[in-house]
Amino acid sequence: MQIKPILTAMRHHKAGTILIAFQIALTLAIVCNALFIIQQRVTRVMRPSGVEEANLFAIDNQWADSASVQNVGAQIRADLTALRQLGSVQDAYATNSFPLRGWGWDNYVRLRPDQVHRTSDSAIFFTDDHTLATLGVKLIEGRNFTSSEAHDVSIKTLAAWPEIIISKDLAKKTFPDGHAVGKPLYVNSDASPSVVVGVTDTLQSHMTDSDITPFAYDAVLVPGYLLQGMTRYVIRARPGQLQAAMRDAKRALVTQSRMRIIDPKDGVRTFAQVRAKAYERDYGMAMLMGIVSVVLLAITAAGIVGLTSFWVGQRRKQIGIRRALGATRADILSYFLTENAMIGGCGVIVGILLALGINLWMVMRFEMAHLSGLYVLIAAAILLLLGQGAVLAPALRASRVSPVEATRPA
Amino acid sequence: MLKMTHLSKVYRTEVVETYALRDFNIDVKEGEFVAVTGPSGSGKTTFLTIAGLLETFTGGTYHLDNLDVSNLDDNARSKIRNEKIGFIFQAFNLIPDLNVFDNVEVPLRYRGMKALERKERIMGALDRVGLASRAKHYPAELSGGQQQRVAIARALAGSPRLLLADEPTGNLDTQMARGVMELLEEIHRDGATIVMVTHDPELAARAQRNVHIIDGQVVDLAEDPRFHSAYVAAAGQVRG
Repeated sequence: MQIKPILTAMRHHKAGTILIAFQIALTLAIVCNALFIIQQRVTRVMRPSGVEEANLFAIDNQWADSASVQNVGAQIRADLTALRQLGSVQDAYATNSFPLRGWGWDNYVRLRPDQVHRTSDSAIFFTDDHTLATLGVKLIEGRNFTSSEAHDVSIKTLAAWPEIIISKDLAKKTFPDGHAVGKPLYVNSDASPSVVVGVTDTLQSHMTDSDITPFAYDAVLVPGYLLQGMTRYVIRARPGQLQAAMRDAKRALVTQSRMRIIDPKDGVRTFAQVRAKAYERDYGMAMLMGIVSVVLLAITAAGIVGLTSFWVGQRRKQIGIRRALGATRADILSYFLTENAMIGGCGVIVGILLALGINLWMVMRFEMAHLSGLYVLIAAAILLLLGQGAVLAPALRASRVSPVEATRPA
Repeated sequence: MLKMTHLSKVYRTEVVETYALRDFNIDVKEGEFVAVTGPSGSGKTTFLTIAGLLETFTGGTYHLDNLDVSNLDDNARSKIRNEKIGFIFQAFNLIPDLNVFDNVEVPLRYRGMKALERKERIMGALDRVGLASRAKHYPAELSGGQQQRVAIARALAGSPRLLLADEPTGNLDTQMARGVMELLEEIHRDGATIVMVTHDPELAARAQRNVHIIDGQVVDLAEDPRFHSAYVAAAGQVRG
């Protein structure tokens, strides 16, 4: 091995060596944290909503006459009847919000009225007996709502709801040791509890932000039609008829009543669009981190190529001397690869310490998760491989220097 | 030890062919000290680079230590350079980033020699050239004569069969040149085969045999009609 003479030679090129090692360290520190952030975001984006998203779409319907909001119950029922009769529509329900929507109601859920700390902060979805079928969510315990349980619900006179269906995750939190069906939960009122009549399989709340992650799958389904200025219809199209159903549904609603506003731009959205909107910040952040990582890696690779090319040019005579004294092309190639690996190795060690330091700061400052060692190792491997890849071309050029170079003037 | 027969070296461009060596013949016996002389551009350095396997040749044959080296690949040529040939260059060609010890060590490392044996050989070679005490010094901290002694130590450390010296005193003042020359003579007395390229007649005169190269060919100055009169005049001046 040529480690000792390389180390000796490096002492004569301290500035370049330290600069490139520091660049590698900084890149490693940023890239492994960026990879970690990307992984977190991708994991969040990829998590299931519990809803069968294909063939599903939503219509945001704003009532034009705010004075008659208290009377929209009948209109909602008429709308639903019209929607469910469409040939391209399989099922539909009206609600205040739905999974992944981003905005909606959420309420503290408690087991006792005097409980100081909440058991959960759950999404509240107003629903009816068609909701589970429309969303494609399975009931794993208890029963569905009946059509007669869906009453008009006024915001001004909100009271405890007699029956509720809760999601599997909320059931586990509230009743970890037993069945939830038939048990009371305090959701909207301290005075009287709601009784759990059913438990759904996995069902995501409307919230997608990172700070609600502990409650992301906690949802309470309440039977009723909320009387407010905005009513949202969630509609399942028959397989292969999504576009037709979206067009038919909007037309049917307008036919029912023109006293409504449906935004022509994004009033009717497929669930794929809903999902994309819900996670656009995550996509954006992952993209940004990815671009930053690629740019940093490219700059570092360019730095290594530049510095090694400069060193090869500077040491052309020296390479010729080594070749004249018996070095093979492989020896010269190995010299530059070893030299770069040593600089890269130092950079990686410093980079790992820096990465852990940055992560620790982010954990304390932004409550981020602790950086997994796997990402540090992946980033270190990327940097070392990138370094060796970047040095290969100038090192090969160096190995092709003729030994006769030793006899030429410097 | 070194035998070139009808050897030629041609540099070709799109429009012209230049013969650096043409029908070149030389036979250096083992243990000989041969000085190769000739005017600038005559082909002395080309001869030396081919003899040292630093460069390939175009035609003819070359036997080094009874081995035909005409068609060896790059790795085999590197191995022979490393094990059989010691180089002494006019510009010393030490590696400035390495100290004296490490400089002498360079060819031994490429031979894959064990550290202990390397150290023994290095210190032995440095002792022989009188620089054992300077092992930790860098080339820039040494005089020209000392640097050339280090280069000689580097060449000797590998116990080469052939020592090739290219104007070894060309960059030295008279006193230092004398010291280096005496060292080469001492090495020769110990049995080394030395081929020294020089344009200095005084140095050439101290070798056992002189070979003259003119226009890429070995010539006998005394016999060749092209140079006979000039040779006689020059010889007369030397005698006078």
